[in-house]
Amino acid sequence: MTVSVRYWSWFKDLAGLEREVFELDPGLALGDLLAQVRGRHPKFEQVRKSTLVAVGLEYQGAEHRLQDGDEVSLFPPVQGG
Amino acid sequence: MRRELQLVREPLDEDSLRRGWIPSAGSGAVLQFLGIVRGREGDGAIEALEYEAFEPMAEHQFQKLFDGVEMRWPTVEAVRLVHRLGVVSVGEASLWVEVVSPHRAEAFAACQWLIDAMKQVVPIWKRALPAPER
Repeated sequence: MTVSVRYWSWFKDLAGLEREVFELDPGLALGDLLAQVRGRHPKFEQVRKSTLVAVGLEYQGAEHRLQDGDEVSLFPPVQGG
Repeated sequence: MRRELQLVREPLDEDSLRRGWIPSAGSGAVLQFLGIVRGREGDGAIEALEYEAFEPMAEHQFQKLFDGVEMRWPTVEAVRLVHRLGVVSVGEASLWVEVVSPHRAEAFAACQWLIDAMKQVVPIWKRALPAPER
Protein backbone atom coordinates (compact mmCIF):
# COMPACT_ATOMS: atom_id res chain seq x y z
CA MET A 1 0.00 0.00 0.00
CA THR A 2 1.04 3.58 -0.59
CA VAL A 3 1.16 6.11 2.24
CA SER A 4 2.31 9.70 1.87
CA VAL A 5 4.18 11.45 4.64
CA ARG A 6 4.15 15.20 5.02
CA TYR A 7 6.57 17.11 7.23
CA TRP A 8 5.71 20.42 8.88
CA SER A 9 7.60 23.33 10.41
CA TRP A 10 11.29 22.60 11.05
CA PHE A 11 10.72 18.89 10.49
CA LYS A 12 10.89 19.80 6.78
CA ASP A 13 14.54 20.74 7.39
CA LEU A 14 15.18 17.48 9.26
CA ALA A 15 13.80 15.46 6.37
CA GLY A 16 15.17 17.75 3.67
CA LEU A 17 11.80 17.72 1.93
CA GLU A 18 8.13 18.47 2.53
CA ARG A 19 6.50 15.28 1.35
CA GLU A 20 7.40 11.78 0.29
CA VAL A 21 5.79 8.44 -0.39
CA PHE A 22 6.34 5.11 1.33
CA GLU A 23 5.39 1.74 -0.11
CA LEU A 24 4.36 -0.44 2.84
CA ASP A 25 3.16 -3.98 3.33
CA PRO A 26 -0.60 -4.05 3.91
CA GLY A 27 -1.71 -3.96 7.54
CA LEU A 28 1.30 -2.18 8.92
CA ALA A 29 0.83 0.19 11.84
CA LEU A 30 1.86 3.80 12.22
CA GLY A 31 4.76 2.76 14.47
CA ASP A 32 6.15 0.63 11.62
CA LEU A 33 6.03 3.62 9.28
CA LEU A 34 7.78 5.83 11.83
CA ALA A 35 10.57 3.27 12.08
CA GLN A 36 10.97 3.47 8.30
CA VAL A 37 11.00 7.27 8.47
CA ARG A 38 13.80 7.11 11.04
CA GLY A 39 15.61 4.66 8.77
CA ARG A 40 15.49 7.10 5.86
CA HIS A 41 16.11 10.17 8.00
CA PRO A 42 18.22 9.28 11.06
CA LYS A 43 17.85 12.83 12.47
CA PHE A 44 14.29 11.92 13.47
CA GLU A 45 15.73 9.61 16.14
CA GLN A 46 16.70 12.75 18.12
CA VAL A 47 13.12 14.05 18.15
CA ARG A 48 11.43 10.72 18.69
CA LYS A 49 9.79 11.72 21.99
CA SER A 50 8.59 15.12 20.82
CA THR A 51 7.24 14.09 17.42
CA LEU A 52 3.49 14.56 16.95
CA VAL A 53 1.80 12.34 14.39
CA ALA A 54 -1.53 12.68 12.62
CA VAL A 55 -3.27 10.54 10.05
CA GLY A 56 -5.52 12.76 8.00
CA LEU A 57 -6.72 15.40 10.45
CA GLU A 58 -6.57 13.31 13.65
CA TYR A 59 -3.75 12.51 16.04
CA GLN A 60 -2.99 8.80 16.16
CA GLY A 61 -0.75 6.51 18.19
CA ALA A 62 1.81 3.92 17.11
CA GLU A 63 -0.75 1.10 17.09
CA HIS A 64 -3.01 2.76 14.53
CA ARG A 65 -3.40 0.58 11.44
CA LEU A 66 -2.62 2.37 8.21
CA GLN A 67 -4.64 2.10 5.05
CA ASP A 68 -3.73 2.54 1.42
CA GLY A 69 -3.81 6.22 0.49
CA ASP A 70 -3.42 7.55 4.04
CA GLU A 71 -1.68 10.89 4.47
CA VAL A 72 0.49 10.97 7.58
CA SER A 73 1.76 14.24 9.02
CA LEU A 74 4.80 14.54 11.26
CA PHE A 75 5.47 17.72 13.17
CA PRO A 76 7.12 19.20 16.25
CA PRO A 77 5.19 20.47 19.29
CA VAL A 78 2.67 23.11 18.28
CA GLN A 79 3.11 26.80 19.15
CA GLY A 80 -0.03 28.72 18.30
CA GLY A 81 -0.97 31.97 19.96
CA MET B 1 -23.20 27.87 21.06
CA ARG B 2 -22.32 30.18 18.19
CA ARG B 3 -18.81 29.68 16.93
CA GLU B 4 -16.64 31.54 14.49
CA LEU B 5 -13.12 30.67 13.41
CA GLN B 6 -10.81 32.54 11.06
CA LEU B 7 -7.23 31.83 10.09
CA VAL B 8 -6.13 35.01 8.36
CA ARG B 9 -3.05 36.38 6.64
CA GLU B 10 -3.89 40.07 6.91
CA PRO B 11 -3.62 42.23 10.06
CA LEU B 12 -6.51 41.88 12.48
CA ASP B 13 -9.06 44.67 12.37
CA GLU B 14 -9.18 45.09 16.12
CA ASP B 15 -11.81 47.86 16.13
CA SER B 16 -14.15 45.82 14.00
CA LEU B 17 -13.60 42.72 16.11
CA ARG B 18 -14.12 44.68 19.32
CA ARG B 19 -17.52 45.92 18.15
CA GLY B 20 -18.52 42.68 16.44
CA TRP B 21 -19.99 40.67 19.27
CA ILE B 22 -23.66 39.79 19.10
CA PRO B 23 -25.47 40.15 22.43
CA SER B 24 -28.48 38.19 23.57
CA ALA B 25 -30.89 38.89 26.40
CA GLY B 26 -28.88 36.47 28.54
CA SER B 27 -25.44 37.94 27.85
CA GLY B 28 -23.72 39.27 30.94
CA ALA B 29 -20.05 38.90 30.06
CA VAL B 30 -18.09 39.54 26.88
CA LEU B 31 -14.45 38.59 27.35
CA GLN B 32 -12.10 39.67 24.57
CA PHE B 33 -8.46 38.57 24.58
CA LEU B 34 -5.80 39.94 22.28
CA GLY B 35 -2.43 38.23 21.99
CA ILE B 36 0.38 40.32 20.51
CA VAL B 37 3.89 39.49 19.33
CA ARG B 38 6.56 40.30 21.92
CA GLY B 39 9.80 41.96 20.92
CA ARG B 40 11.91 39.20 22.41
CA GLU B 41 11.88 35.47 21.82
CA GLY B 42 14.19 33.46 24.04
CA ASP B 43 17.39 35.47 24.50
CA GLY B 44 17.18 37.65 21.43
CA ALA B 45 15.35 40.63 20.00
CA ILE B 46 13.06 39.77 17.11
CA GLU B 47 11.43 41.70 14.31
CA ALA B 48 8.48 39.39 13.75
CA LEU B 49 7.12 35.89 14.09
CA GLU B 50 6.22 33.84 11.05
CA TYR B 51 3.27 31.52 11.67
CA GLU B 52 2.70 28.35 9.66
CA ALA B 53 -0.33 26.10 9.96
CA PHE B 54 -1.54 22.78 8.69
CA GLU B 55 -4.78 24.59 7.99
CA PRO B 56 -7.34 21.80 7.44
CA MET B 57 -6.17 20.03 10.60
CA ALA B 58 -5.97 23.29 12.56
CA GLU B 59 -9.56 24.10 11.63
CA HIS B 60 -10.67 20.59 12.56
CA GLN B 61 -8.87 20.68 15.90
CA PHE B 62 -10.26 24.14 16.70
CA GLN B 63 -13.78 22.85 16.06
CA LYS B 64 -13.12 19.98 18.47
CA LEU B 65 -11.94 22.49 21.07
CA PHE B 66 -15.11 24.53 20.55
CA ASP B 67 -17.01 21.27 21.19
CA GLY B 68 -14.98 20.99 24.39
CA VAL B 69 -15.97 24.50 25.48
CA GLU B 70 -19.62 23.70 24.79
CA MET B 71 -19.44 20.51 26.83
CA ARG B 72 -17.54 22.02 29.79
CA TRP B 73 -19.40 25.33 29.99
CA PRO B 74 -22.88 24.78 28.51
CA THR B 75 -23.94 28.34 29.31
CA VAL B 76 -21.32 29.90 27.02
CA GLU B 77 -23.26 31.54 24.19
CA ALA B 78 -20.55 32.25 21.65
CA VAL B 79 -16.86 31.81 20.90
CA ARG B 80 -15.01 33.74 18.23
CA LEU B 81 -11.35 33.04 17.48
CA VAL B 82 -9.10 34.65 14.89
CA HIS B 83 -5.47 33.55 14.42
CA ARG B 84 -2.96 35.27 12.16
CA LEU B 85 -0.76 33.26 9.82
CA GLY B 86 2.30 34.38 7.90
CA VAL B 87 4.60 37.16 9.11
CA VAL B 88 3.32 39.11 12.14
CA SER B 89 5.47 42.04 13.25
CA VAL B 90 6.34 42.83 16.84
CA GLY B 91 3.45 44.67 18.47
CA GLU B 92 0.86 43.32 16.06
CA ALA B 93 -1.93 41.01 17.17
CA SER B 94 -1.54 37.33 16.40
CA LEU B 95 -4.61 36.04 18.25
CA TRP B 96 -8.09 37.25 19.07
CA VAL B 97 -10.40 35.21 21.32
CA GLU B 98 -13.86 36.28 22.39
CA VAL B 99 -16.18 34.41 24.74
CA VAL B 100 -19.73 35.56 25.45
CA SER B 101 -21.60 34.11 28.42
CA PRO B 102 -24.17 35.02 31.07
CA HIS B 103 -21.53 35.41 33.81
CA ARG B 104 -17.82 36.26 33.89
CA ALA B 105 -16.60 33.10 35.63
CA GLU B 106 -17.33 30.74 32.75
CA ALA B 107 -16.08 33.29 30.20
CA PHE B 108 -12.68 33.56 31.91
CA ALA B 109 -12.44 29.80 32.46
CA ALA B 110 -13.45 28.92 28.90
CA CYS B 111 -11.06 31.45 27.36
CA GLN B 112 -8.14 30.25 29.46
CA TRP B 113 -8.91 26.59 28.70
CA LEU B 114 -9.33 27.23 24.99
CA ILE B 115 -5.99 29.01 24.61
CA ASP B 116 -4.13 26.45 26.75
CA ALA B 117 -5.66 23.58 24.75
CA MET B 118 -4.87 25.33 21.45
CA LYS B 119 -1.21 25.39 22.44
CA GLN B 120 -1.33 21.62 22.92
CA VAL B 121 -3.17 20.35 19.86
CA VAL B 122 -3.72 22.89 17.08
CA PRO B 123 -1.00 22.48 14.41
CA ILE B 124 0.31 26.02 14.19
CA TRP B 125 4.03 26.80 14.53
CA LYS B 126 6.01 29.99 14.73
CA ARG B 127 9.49 30.96 13.62
CA ALA B 128 11.24 34.00 15.02
CA LEU B 129 12.62 36.47 12.50
CA PRO B 130 15.57 38.14 14.30
CA ALA B 131 15.81 41.91 14.49
CA PRO B 132 18.63 43.34 12.36
CA GLU B 133 21.79 44.00 14.36
CA ARG B 134 22.46 47.67 15.03
